[in-house]
Amino acid sequence: MGYYLSVLTFTAITVVSISSIYVITGLTGLFSLGQASFMAVGAYTSGVLLVRLGIPFALAATAGILGGLAAAWVVGVPTLRLRRDYIALVTFGFGEAIIAILNNTTDLTGGAMGLVGIPQRTTTWLAVFSAAATVLLVRNFKYSRFGRQCIAVKNDEIAAGSMGVNVSRTKMLAFLFGSALTAFAGALYGSYTSYVEPSLFAWGLSAEWIIIVFFGGINSLTGAVVAAVVLSTLPEILRFADEWRIVVYSVIVLVILNFRPSGVFGEFELPIWATIKKGFSHVNQG
Amino acid sequence: MFAQQLVNGLSLGAVYSLISVGFALVFNILKFSNFSQGGLLTVSAYLGFLVATRLRLSFAMTLLVTGFLGGVVALVIERLAFRRLRAQNSPVIYYFVSSITMGILLENLITVFFSSNFYAYPRFFQRFVINLGPFILSVTDLTMLGISVFSLSVLMFVLYGTPFGTAIRALSMDQNTARLMGVDVDFAIAITFFVVGVFGGIGGVFLGINYTLYPQLGQLIVKGFIASVIGGLGNILGAVVGALLLGVVEVVLVGVPGVGSGLSPVVIFLLMLVFLILRPQGIAGVIIKEKA
Repeated sequence: MGYYLSVLTFTAITVVSISSIYVITGLTGLFSLGQASFMAVGAYTSGVLLVRLGIPFALAATAGILGGLAAAWVVGVPTLRLRRDYIALVTFGFGEAIIAILNNTTDLTGGAMGLVGIPQRTTTWLAVFSAAATVLLVRNFKYSRFGRQCIAVKNDEIAAGSMGVNVSRTKMLAFLFGSALTAFAGALYGSYTSYVEPSLFAWGLSAEWIIIVFFGGINSLTGAVVAAVVLSTLPEILRFADEWRIVVYSVIVLVILNFRPSGVFGEFELPIWATIKKGFSHVNQG
Repeated sequence: MFAQQLVNGLSLGAVYSLISVGFALVFNILKFSNFSQGGLLTVSAYLGFLVATRLRLSFAMTLLVTGFLGGVVALVIERLAFRRLRAQNSPVIYYFVSSITMGILLENLITVFFSSNFYAYPRFFQRFVINLGPFILSVTDLTMLGISVFSLSVLMFVLYGTPFGTAIRALSMDQNTARLMGVDVDFAIAITFFVVGVFGGIGGVFLGINYTLYPQLGQLIVKGFIASVIGGLGNILGAVVGALLLGVVEVVLVGVPGVGSGLSPVVIFLLMLVFLILRPQGIAGVIIKEKA
């Protein structure tokens, strides 16, 4: 039972981080290849505070989110007013920089040995509840004015700008929102495993998240969440060799990109959303 | 001492320039950031290792064979990841995902077949250093500098001195017009990828010699990204200048107390952010704008 609960918890945390990628990449069309390092910021900020000061988890998680926001701001201000390629290149560099900082601040973070002894505050139910709340939040964001502006910016920056959308502000907002969610996922992760090390948050993780979002379909939050759940539980259940996992995903995504570029779910969103919130039911175009 | 650091920095920068130029070439023509190049670097570094240890070839032959193999790998990447997208006129976002996926696929294939073990290239040179008056210069560094300068010169000559180079430069401006003018677009793009692969192959061998071989070696592509951002995205000369600058700054930073090799990625990242705020168009000074 304990094993299945831990799979459930990790899946829930993955759903939180995938939702954040959905906001940044799926809605706004920005590629962050260092998004895992925002998870590291969240995990380490909250982890260090929990270990050193013993503050309550809610406070530590809030600090983690604030840390993620601050980092996203520093990265976003110079890059988001430029062409989209810059955010991908610069976040990649940011990931390297964060790992270098974590490896070289041994006194505070434990360096390459990792930060040990974080009190375990994330219960399975907290994780599942957080995942549900995050998905709801992102879903509402998608159908809000901001979400629509993000989609407009993704499809055509120039056209969106001429319609009065403030392009760089919209990108900044989406990036900050997404990074705050990623940092929160980090805080959850750190105080579930009670141990984090810098190499957990390398670029491979960021790339894997993008692959998962595209697997489900870039325009569909339902697709992203289903892909996150399926792709993070399947290997646990089937137990096929971990090293082949990413290879298989990559091949599948390459096939999808070539033959069904809109992903498995396309533009589809579960109609349950619409029936729960009747008021939003008429706006279902992605 | 300073002159020696300058030479070390330039030779490091020359290796980076092989990466950043390959990156700039693809960006120039297809207008997207090609992340699969990291995977290409990893694969060629391992291919070079196999060529050098199994076939026991000399340094020059290893470079030639690996350069060719790198070119072939790049052709395969183009065929599998980008050809169909081009035929379908897919949005840039799909090229992007395709290249990221390809990069992570190659990296993980290497992990599967070589596991995460570390390998080292054989020693190619009998002598490590040359004493030149007051300078002590590393033979490996000098060779890398020489070969990189040579390859870049050949590329520049082809791009600016031959009809074929004109075709590639025309492609980078407008594919459809180039096609109307009689340029075989598919062929020119395939050749460009082959050239990028050759550069990646040579760069991969150099990286493999400089560092040990491990599956994540391709992440050194970040040096190429930083060089391109400093030099100006898509500008080939800018990519070279940016890479040389980056190499020199890195060598200097290692000697700065409190920074060392550990924290130098952080300092370089911050320098890049400051540079982006002050001069977002890069050294080359041209911003590529999206066409409406």
